[in-house]
Amino acid sequence: MIASVDMGSSFRLKAWLAEQSNAIGLAGIVLLFWIVFASLAPGFISPFNLFAMSRTLAIDTVIGFSTMVVLATGGMNLAIGAIGVCSVMFAGYLMQVLSLPGPVALAGGLALGSLLGWINGFAIVRTGVNSFIITLASASLFNGGMLILTKAVIFNGLPPTIAEFGRMRWDVVSPLLLVALLIGSALIVLFRLTALGREILAAGANARAAELSGVPVGRAIVIAHTLSGLLAASAGLMLLSRLGAAMPSVGQDWLLPSFLAPVLGGALLSGGSVSVVGAMIGALLVTTIRSGLLILQVGNFWLQLFLGVMLLLAVLLDRYRAVYAERRSLGRRI
Amino acid sequence: MTVARRFFTQEWSALAVAIAIGLATLSALSPAFLTEYNLYVVLRSFCVVLVVAFAQMLTLAVGQLNLAVGALGGLVAIAVGGMMEKLGLPTGVAVFVGLAIGVAGGVLNGLLTVRTGINGFIVTLATASVFTGINLGVTESIPFYNLPPDFVAFGVKRFFAVPYLLIPPVIAALLLALFLARTVPGRYLLAVGGNPHAAELSGIPRDRIVVLAHALSGLLSAVGAILAEAQLGSAQPTIGADWLVISFAAPIIGGAALTGGHVSVAATALAVVLVVLIQNGMVLAKVDPYWVQFLLGALILSAVGLNRFRAIRIERA
Repeated sequence: MIASVDMGSSFRLKAWLAEQSNAIGLAGIVLLFWIVFASLAPGFISPFNLFAMSRTLAIDTVIGFSTMVVLATGGMNLAIGAIGVCSVMFAGYLMQVLSLPGPVALAGGLALGSLLGWINGFAIVRTGVNSFIITLASASLFNGGMLILTKAVIFNGLPPTIAEFGRMRWDVVSPLLLVALLIGSALIVLFRLTALGREILAAGANARAAELSGVPVGRAIVIAHTLSGLLAASAGLMLLSRLGAAMPSVGQDWLLPSFLAPVLGGALLSGGSVSVVGAMIGALLVTTIRSGLLILQVGNFWLQLFLGVMLLLAVLLDRYRAVYAERRSLGRRI
Repeated sequence: MTVARRFFTQEWSALAVAIAIGLATLSALSPAFLTEYNLYVVLRSFCVVLVVAFAQMLTLAVGQLNLAVGALGGLVAIAVGGMMEKLGLPTGVAVFVGLAIGVAGGVLNGLLTVRTGINGFIVTLATASVFTGINLGVTESIPFYNLPPDFVAFGVKRFFAVPYLLIPPVIAALLLALFLARTVPGRYLLAVGGNPHAAELSGIPRDRIVVLAHALSGLLSAVGAILAEAQLGSAQPTIGADWLVISFAAPIIGGAALTGGHVSVAATALAVVLVVLIQNGMVLAKVDPYWVQFLLGALILSAVGLNRFRAIRIERA
């Protein structure tokens, strides 16, 4: 009796470990990089660098989430950077030109982001065209529209509270990181505990099966894209408070990190499986490598190469793990 | 069937009509449009875009994507520039090695996709970052300016309104049309794109064909990069950075299916003509250049919507 309970719990532990193997492996890699960078360059763990990293990490995490919620449906969103910059410029416009109070302007930015995301989702579901093409085109549309309306002029006369929040320090961490963690917790609740989250995942895992089981697949896709737009806007507004100005160049380099974090974290491109914690650790790995290379003065120029190689290695490793797991489970069945 | 009806059954007919309207409007509204020099400028900006569109079209033909078109192009451009300026290699050798780098990059993309079974999107996103990283790491964003005069002259010379630069893209278009319509590997390529499983069961070496498509895509990116370099007269590390959207726009406006198996050289070329005409029209009308980006997005969406509408009507009929 006792033995069987023990076996049960140890089996459950094993199952949990197997499920989390990717996140645990990734955390190990992050730890390894921290040890290497800290021993090569003591400046890496200086309070200032830790603070700088926490700010970058917060923004990279939310950018990753923005792609992750769409990956859950098996789609992708190439317009994240464009949505981010539209929200940033809109919030900047509301504050500087219309001199609305900060919170109202930020809410306006978030609302615009959600609206643009909704447009993406609506166009994808209505036309039945691949999300890749729709968001590639809408990215061009949104970015072009933003540049036409703003004439690429920076809004730098924002209320000082915005920049103060970006500079605020709690010892070595930025409050922005707390924002990212809160968003992450909300996403965990969404995907683990709510019907909507399960519907989004079901739509991604097998759209036809989900449809036949009564899941409103179209609605799930539209909601996932709206959420993605909201998250892209959040990342943009976090960056706005870090920069202290609304710049039209925001979001241009978001594409790679937006995919790196969730894919390193174990999200399936075919949809139906995402890991919020994994995406956070994935973003941590990206931030660590970026900051470490900067401190080691390898230079920004080689950074792209490292990130690309890392993405390749991560997906290769994941592939071989999947093949290995499949072989083992086949063996067990026989 | 009358000539007119046969014309309208072609899928590029809407594009041809749009181009004809565009040409008529532009020449009626702007006296500068039909000048020899302006036509030369239009044709010159047509060259690079056309080859880049073909590079993407080939990967779309087998049902794949290539996000690394621009990054590979940038790498080839600085490699060719570096070989000519720093190593003093003759133009022919540098160009040949540049094309070889393009093919090698494409083969790498293809092999990674086929061997690992990882989504081509992620593979080429990663290799694009790798290619750009090498490009920036080597050049530190500093262009090569001292290119051989014969190379730069090729980018400027013209026969009346026809730039010499137009010769390679036209040859590429003809060869590509012949390849896809008349050769065994070309037919295999479309068959694999149309239905990979059926193609494999019919004895087509699917993996080899996917690698071939990526290799040719890499080769065409390299051609585009070298043309861009001749056009600019210098090897800029930023060559290719803005190719992504247009590389997808032209084949898709031309009616290529993203699922593979269906592409058209003529329609892709016409789509490029349309885009270049719109750009030129905006320059002549002195419109904000930001409108180009906006309209390109709108054009892709309307083309996609139109194709969808046509498909629904065919289904109903």
